[in-house]
Amino acid sequence: MSDEEMEFSDDDYDDYYGGEYDGDVDHVDPQKNDPEYFHVACLTDTEVERLLNESVEQLSNSIQVTPSLAKLLLHMYNWNQIEIVAGYRQDCHKMLTSVHIKPATPPQQMTNNQQGESEATCPVCLAPMSPDYASHLTCGHTFCKDCWSMHFEVQIKQGMSTGIECMGNSCQVLAPEDFVVPLLKRPRLKEKYQQYAFSDYVRSHPQLRFCPGPNCNIVIQAKECRAKRVTCTACKSQFCYKCGGDYHAPTDCETIRCWLTKCADDSETANYISAHTKDVNIDSFQAVGPCKTVGEYEEIAYCPKCHICIEKNGGCNHMQCFNCKHDFCWMCLGCWKTHGSEYYECSRYKENPNIAHESAHAQAREALKKYLHYYERWENHSKSLKLEEETLAKIRERIQNKVMAGTGTWIDWQYLLDAAALLARCRYTLQNTYPFAYYLESGPRKDLFEYQQAQLEAEIENLSWKIERAEMTDRGDLENQMDIVEKRRTTLLTDFLQV
Amino acid sequence: MALKRINKEMRELERDPPGQCSVGPIANDPFHCQATIIGPTGTPFEGGLFDLRIDFPDDYPFRPPKVWFTTKIFHPNISDRGSICLDILSQNWSPTLSISKVLLIICALLTDPNPDDPWRKDIAELYVNDREKYESTAREWTAQFATA
Repeated sequence: MSDEEMEFSDDDYDDYYGGEYDGDVDHVDPQKNDPEYFHVACLTDTEVERLLNESVEQLSNSIQVTPSLAKLLLHMYNWNQIEIVAGYRQDCHKMLTSVHIKPATPPQQMTNNQQGESEATCPVCLAPMSPDYASHLTCGHTFCKDCWSMHFEVQIKQGMSTGIECMGNSCQVLAPEDFVVPLLKRPRLKEKYQQYAFSDYVRSHPQLRFCPGPNCNIVIQAKECRAKRVTCTACKSQFCYKCGGDYHAPTDCETIRCWLTKCADDSETANYISAHTKDVNIDSFQAVGPCKTVGEYEEIAYCPKCHICIEKNGGCNHMQCFNCKHDFCWMCLGCWKTHGSEYYECSRYKENPNIAHESAHAQAREALKKYLHYYERWENHSKSLKLEEETLAKIRERIQNKVMAGTGTWIDWQYLLDAAALLARCRYTLQNTYPFAYYLESGPRKDLFEYQQAQLEAEIENLSWKIERAEMTDRGDLENQMDIVEKRRTTLLTDFLQV
Repeated sequence: MALKRINKEMRELERDPPGQCSVGPIANDPFHCQATIIGPTGTPFEGGLFDLRIDFPDDYPFRPPKVWFTTKIFHPNISDRGSICLDILSQNWSPTLSISKVLLIICALLTDPNPDDPWRKDIAELYVNDREKYESTAREWTAQFATA
């Protein structure tokens, strides 16, 4: 990574001072300008197999072992060839014992068997076995081939493959592929074994990951394991490369896991509290205008000015009452004017500065209040994302109508779809800033984060507002807004995305 | 295969019966057996006769038999319902183990409980912190449930 970066910066330097750099054209260096840039390759199982076999071949040539043994060594050492070669050259016996290819103590039963010759009985089926029908691993525990086959069959049926051990009591010696496969009687079983082993190899390989998409067989290859967004070329699912869960920048994998667990654990409490706190507001407005009860319809609010019932039917949190034209914020029901300025206070949670001196009860209430603040915003953006999907359908319809009516062409309206896609991407990031802020310790860093978050949020709501109302003439304005929003998002990610 | 091996084990048990236990099939079905362990001397289980059930899987000996106590017993590694917390009966099973070896290991477990890997935390704590109370309770249980 650092090498590549060096290269790029050298190029820039040359370009700039070489006079070839054209200042008017954006010089796009994806790694530098986009904090989310991540280079991956989507491989099919054949391609992965080829990749693994190349490593196996290299290792088996360099330390002169069978490919099967090389494969097992690579698997046990997370495909770190350099470490294996060094360790093997230093003390091959120690290395082979450490990964259970050789037993820790030298074999004993071998001699028994040689003495017993034809009289030897298999310790598993207790039937006599002829020496040519018996086999053993490096530990010397000898069993008849039928028992080995049965043992492998039972193990494979339990999902085992690379981890199958010798049958000897407390013997941990592993059975390599070239020992197992010839003893498998049914082709179906061989197939299963190969399939499980393949999964094990991919899991132990630091540069490979299975695509978590349903029924997707693609394996993602990346040089580094980082918490960045990956889009599978086959099933189109998007996920975080590091944890395999939904993409979550700027929050890191550990934090998002804590957050999601917390949300799952506290969802009932959160729902109960939000429902009951909203009811209080509603009771006072009940007499005004026709309304549905809020418990049933979560996307209903009352205009804070004229108290008429308003249904939220778009993703934008900047609401305008259809009745009195009052502009307000869906989240806090405050006047939108206070949100429009650069100091967007709605996203920020104001902690009680004297909380340390309050009673335990008050502290618990404060903790819940804080959690609810972040949870409601997280939830709300998630809902907004869904509503904006519906908006996209409406935009398509509107474009069709406009084009049919002769107002512009498909190409003229294309920008609106781009804007909607950008909006979704930005709101997704915004949603994921809330768990980050929740776990961030108070201080200048949190202040900066919440400042940037507030700015991003304000611009996103502006964009959403503009998209929902865009006309042909608004194109310039909208594209300008798109640029602002994306810049805000990139700034936030550049400053806080640490992966 | 499983049946052959079980029958061989049974014949071996008849030929050379172990001192502390006996095994026999229930209703002539070798896959379901009953065993009895004599409470080891010098333990709070002394003087008791403990019954166990043994169910063999179809792919025995490649998978472990299910073994559980049917007599109530006060022991850190044995649950209320008689399940035994023993590695060789699950992940550390080896096809070279046999039912007589398993019963011997269970006898050893009665003599030396393993409080680090308990099924019943309360008994394990008692075993570690108040051995006298543990022994007297175990003896009471033996007298109450394991003597004819």
